[in-house]
Formats: sequence, structure tokens, C-alpha cells
Amino acid sequence: MTEPAREKIVVTNDTKFLSVVRDFVANQTQTNNIAPDSANKIILAVDEAVANIIEHAYEEQITGTIEIETEISETRFKISIRDSGKKFRPDSVETPNMTEHVKSGKKKGLGIFLMRQIMDEVRYVFKEGIQNELVLVKYLRTG
Amino acid sequence: MPDFAIETQQIKPGIRFVAVRGFLDAHTYEELDKTISECFDQGVHKLVVDLSRLDYISSAGAGVFIGNIGTAQDNDGNIILLNPSQNVREIFDLLGLTQIFTFAQDVDSAVRLLEK
Repeated sequence: MTEPAREKIVVTNDTKFLSVVRDFVANQTQTNNIAPDSANKIILAVDEAVANIIEHAYEEQITGTIEIETEISETRFKISIRDSGKKFRPDSVETPNMTEHVKSGKKKGLGIFLMRQIMDEVRYVFKEGIQNELVLVKYLRTG
Repeated sequence: MPDFAIETQQIKPGIRFVAVRGFLDAHTYEELDKTISECFDQGVHKLVVDLSRLDYISSAGAGVFIGNIGTAQDNDGNIILLNPSQNVREIFDLLGLTQIFTFAQDVDSAVRLLEK
């Protein structure tokens, strides 16, 4: 069995870097021959996770970093996203009622829901005094 | 070529055509939100939004439509989405929005839906 392929990128907490993050993940999916349909969804899930960190983890005007590490094996695509901002538990976010969401004119709050819809695992780990780590896993069809 | 662009055009009195091109994400959604708000401010609540050249949409982008369709409908209007690519359409599916939004394949059908 071959070792999983690992790559890493670090960006600052600015939405202008979302395209850089998407390109990074897209390159990993291409290098590892991930089917386009799965690839597009993985890219979106990572975009949602990073956009969420940019919006919630750091106070305005504070520059912080976000590390995105991919680990790809024959059976799964794992992405670990780390930041040193505020603690945030995605599992505390309830599934939205879309009709209510539309009625209230709310524009935000769908990223976590989308991440859960796409990925097979969404795990959050808070490492005291160090950082937040969000782990996203998509199982890959083999054979 | 820029990563994101919006073009608007009045196609009939009270109906605005809004073409969105490129990548609609947490970095660019505010521009589209501003364009739609400006239409509403001018009393235009019937919008045909052309998504045929939209390469990518995230929840922040979809949120612009979710957050504005109620205002359009409350003012006797609507937001009709024109020709999204399969990738873009899939995000609406994943968010459970295909029951809420009306999709059209060409401008004439979109206008007919708005004039009903």
C-alpha cells in the first residue's frame, strides 16, 4: 500500500485568497485523479470551511493564518484546516430550514450545512492553546 | 479576464436582466448583492439572472439569491435563474433550493414567467 500524498498551503484570513485555496485543492484532485464531480464538491467544501474561518475566527483588522493540508490515499481525501482564531464548533450549528431561511431574508449560515452535505466526515478538534482544527474527509470510490 | 463581472440591462419596463460571470464566492457576493439592492431601490423587482457564464458558486453566492427573493416576491416580482451550468445547479440542489427558485432556459421564457 502506498503512502498517502500530503501537501500544505498557508493563507492569511482574507477572502481574496479563497481562489488560491480552491486552485490548491483543484491541483491536488487533478494530480491524484479524483473524478471531476467529487473534485468540484471537495473544492466547494474546503472553500466553505475557509470562508467560515475568515468570517468568524479572527476579529476584524486582525491578521491571522489558515493552514490547509491535504492527505490523499486510494480510499479517502482528507483535508485538515487549522487556524489560531476563536473557538468555533461547526457541530453546534443546526441544519437550516430553507423555507424559514428564505422567509427571514437571511443571506448567510449555509456553509456548514453544505460542508456536511458534501463530505463524509466533518470533525472539529480544539487544541488548547494551539489552534482549531477542522478535518473534512471524502471517501473515494475504488475499483 | 477578471474573476468576476456583472452586467445589467433593462429588457422590458420593470424587468432587469443581470448577467453574472466568473466566480461568485465569499469574496465577490457583496457586489451582486449591491446590484440587486440597487434594482430594488429603483423599484425593479422582476429580475432575470443569467448564470450561464457563472463558473462557480459557493453558499455565500447562493445566499444573495436566498436573501433577496423574498423582497422580490413581496413586491410582485421574482428572481428567475437562467441556464446555470450543471455544477452551479448542483449547489442549488444540495441546498434544497430547487423548490424555491424558478429556472428558465432562455430569456423569453423567463420574461413570460415574470409577466404571469
